[in-house]
Amino acid sequence: MDKLMETTLSILMGSRLTLEIFVVTLALALPVGLLAALARLSHLRLLSRVMEVYIWIMRGSPLMLQLLFVYFALPLVGIKIDPMPSALLAFTLNYAAYFAEIFRAGIQSIERGQYEAAKTLGMSYTQTMRRIILPQMIHRVLPPVSNETINLVKDTSLIYILAMNDLLRVARTIVQRDFDMTAFFIAGIFYLTMTAFLTWGFKRLEEHFGKYDE
Amino acid sequence: MENMMSENGKNEDSRLMLRVSDIRKNFGDLEVLKGISFDVMRGEVLAIIGPSGSGKSTTLRCLNCLEKIDRGSIEVKGDYLVKDNGNGPVEYAPKQKMHELLGSMGMVFQQFNLFPHMTVLENLLEAPMQVKKMKREEIEPIAAELLKKVGLYEKRDVYPSKLSGGQQQRVAIARALAMNPDIMLFDEPTSALDPELTGEVLKTMRELAAEHMTMVVVTHEMAFAREVANHVIFMADGNIVEQGTPEKIFTAPSEERTKSFLHHMLG
Repeated sequence: MDKLMETTLSILMGSRLTLEIFVVTLALALPVGLLAALARLSHLRLLSRVMEVYIWIMRGSPLMLQLLFVYFALPLVGIKIDPMPSALLAFTLNYAAYFAEIFRAGIQSIERGQYEAAKTLGMSYTQTMRRIILPQMIHRVLPPVSNETINLVKDTSLIYILAMNDLLRVARTIVQRDFDMTAFFIAGIFYLTMTAFLTWGFKRLEEHFGKYDE
Repeated sequence: MENMMSENGKNEDSRLMLRVSDIRKNFGDLEVLKGISFDVMRGEVLAIIGPSGSGKSTTLRCLNCLEKIDRGSIEVKGDYLVKDNGNGPVEYAPKQKMHELLGSMGMVFQQFNLFPHMTVLENLLEAPMQVKKMKREEIEPIAAELLKKVGLYEKRDVYPSKLSGGQQQRVAIARALAMNPDIMLFDEPTSALDPELTGEVLKTMRELAAEHMTMVVVTHEMAFAREVANHVIFMADGNIVEQGTPEKIFTAPSEERTKSFLHHMLG
């Protein structure tokens, strides 16, 4: 019993790191993704092209490779970053690219009439985006954003490659030490609990933003 | 206002709300407007009728810059919104002036285009508060008055999706009026409505006309055009085929094209 408790506590410690990566990445990638989406939709061709390339690179190569690149390759050009900021940088850039595409699709799904109505009422681009388009966009993109967010919880396990002791790496270490699979079960329960909370949270958000089109 | 007009002896001019001169527009190779000209006086209701694809909606959308014109000029209350210097592209008014002139026009769309994530009242408050920076206490009584006028005050806290099409369109009219425009543009305001719902919208528009609101109405409602408009324009293929009083257009049209259209519309 003591051993089970000890295993659980160790994994709990590992979850702290998992959660930290998760929360910080989400908090940064959502706004960066939104800005990237707006830039991607910009009439400035160059800006739009640059975003296209950025999104292609981030979506087109493995997140694992991006992690390795930030941590091991950047020092070659004199940029040396600790594991934690390296992980946050790679995760944020990667997830922002996915969020950017989701937001772009959401923004483009808003009817032209909404822009025209706002324009004829004298609203500026910023006012139209902030007050009319984005609030409607958020409602529409919640399901895909929820998908990505749940993916992020699981993708955090990739940081083991930077020798960081996240939830899964702690569990694996215990399993390899004791030849006992219990730690994997506990890790699974931890992931499922986190994603259950997220699923519930997104359901509430959808209800909140969907109250106008029942 | 009245005094000022007679003092500087510009009575005729001050009554001029809109002057459209020879506007032309192409969509790619397609020439959709081939030189449209007309005047709208203060308090006048202009109805633009004609078959689909005749360019009447495009004409209306050019008035408030939802479409840009390629040639010609548009004057709003004596100021150029866009002018044609003969050679080179047409010249639109500077940003500030443009904002001011567009602000004097309200627009009602075929598809209503209410903001679905805002309640009826919020739809009316949005632009006055955001654009004119009015305080909620200032605009709310005005908005309430407008909602009473269109008969939807008791619906002020519901979302547009809960309203019928006719109700949504009346809210859209009230929303445009909340910006206190001098000219109201209507782009086929009843075309998306079930037949039994057009009456309530037309009634609201009739009331507006009776209050001497200057209106430009693109419509398929011949009875409405005949009864409410002071002036009727019949368009086909990007041209004005014929214009005049409703009396003349509806009882004694001179062009063959007008006759056959009216024959078709009136059965």
